[in-house]
Amino acid sequence: MTQLGDSFPDAGDREVTEGIARVISVDGTMVWLEPEQTTACGGCASSKVCGAEPGSRRLVARRFSLVNHDDLRVGEHVVVGVSSSTLLRASMTAYGVPLLLMLVSGVTAQKLIGGDGAAAAATLAGLVVGLGLVRLWSMRFSARGELTPHFIRRVPAPGPDGACHGLDG
Amino acid sequence: MKDVILLIVSAALVNNVILARFLGLCSFMGVTTRVDTALGMGAACTFVITLSAMGDWAVEQYLLVPYGLGYLRTVAFILIIASAVQLNEAIFRKFSPHLFKLLGIYLPLITTNCAVLGVCLLLVEGKYGFMDSTVFAFASSLGYSLVMVLFAGLRERVALADVPRIFAGPPIGFITASLLALAFMGFSGMSAN
Repeated sequence: MTQLGDSFPDAGDREVTEGIARVISVDGTMVWLEPEQTTACGGCASSKVCGAEPGSRRLVARRFSLVNHDDLRVGEHVVVGVSSSTLLRASMTAYGVPLLLMLVSGVTAQKLIGGDGAAAAATLAGLVVGLGLVRLWSMRFSARGELTPHFIRRVPAPGPDGACHGLDG
Repeated sequence: MKDVILLIVSAALVNNVILARFLGLCSFMGVTTRVDTALGMGAACTFVITLSAMGDWAVEQYLLVPYGLGYLRTVAFILIIASAVQLNEAIFRKFSPHLFKLLGIYLPLITTNCAVLGVCLLLVEGKYGFMDSTVFAFASSLGYSLVMVLFAGLRERVALADVPRIFAGPPIGFITASLLALAFMGFSGMSAN
C-alpha cells in the first residue's frame, strides 16, 4: 500500500482524470480509501464474478492512503484524481513497452534465425525484459508520487430526489 | 518486413475487429463514455489479446491439431484467455503495484470481451505461424484500441452538443458508430488496390 501526498505538484496546467473513492478507515493523520467503480462497470449482473463489486478482493487490493488534511470520515465519498498525462504514460509504459519489445525481438529472431521455436523464445525473452523495464519505470514514477491519486473534493450527499452528484459536480 | 506491415494494416484497419467484424461491441458501447477509460481498456486488451494469441497458437499446434481435439477449441481458448488475464493481474500486482492500482480494474473486464476470443479463433482460420499470429493479434487489438479511443472522443463531443431529446444517449451513440463504420469502410479499398 502506498502513502501519498495530497496535491498535484503543478495542478494548474494539468488535465485530471477523476474517480470516486470511499473512505474505509481513518488511521491517525492518514485515511484509507477504496476506489469505486462508477463509469465502466460494476453495475451488471456479472460484477460478483469479475470482481468489480464494491468490497471485492480486486478493489481491496487497490486501496490507497491519503494524508487526512480535510477531516475525512469513514464512509464518506471523495473525488480523487490522477493527472491524465500520467495515466496515459502509465498505460503506455505498462502495456506498450513489454508488447513492443516482445514484437521487435520476435520479428527480429524470425527474420534472422527463422522457425517458430526461436521466434517464441525471443518473444518471451522480450516480454520478460519489457516487464523488467516497466518495474524500473514504475518505481521511478511512484518515487515522484505521480502514480497515486490525490484528493480533489468531497462528493456531496445525494439530494432528496436521489439525484446523483458525482464527477461533474 | 513488407509482409509484416501489410499484416498490421490489414488487421488493424481493413478488417477492424469492431467495425468490420463486429466483435467486442459490448465494450465498444459500454466503456467509451470517456477517452481515458477507453484508452485504459484498449491498452489492457491489446496486452491480453497478444499474450492469449501466443498461448492459443501453442495449444492449437501442439495439442488440439495433433490429437484431433478441434471440438475443444472454444473451451480451451476461453481457458487460456482467462489464464492470461489472471497472469497479467498477478504479474502487474507483483512487478508494479502502483500501476496495478491505477490500471488494474480493466483486466477482469477483458475476460468477458468477445473480441479476445474472436481474434484467437480468427488466427486458427488464418493458419498463421507463431510470429504472424502474434503480429496479427497485436495489430487487431491495436485497431480495437484505435476505434475505442476515436469513438470515446466523438461521444465526449456529442455529450456537449445539443442533441434532440429523442436521440439523446444510446441512439446518437449508435448513429455515431455507424458513421465511424462507414468511414472505416474506406480502408477496404486498400485491399482492392
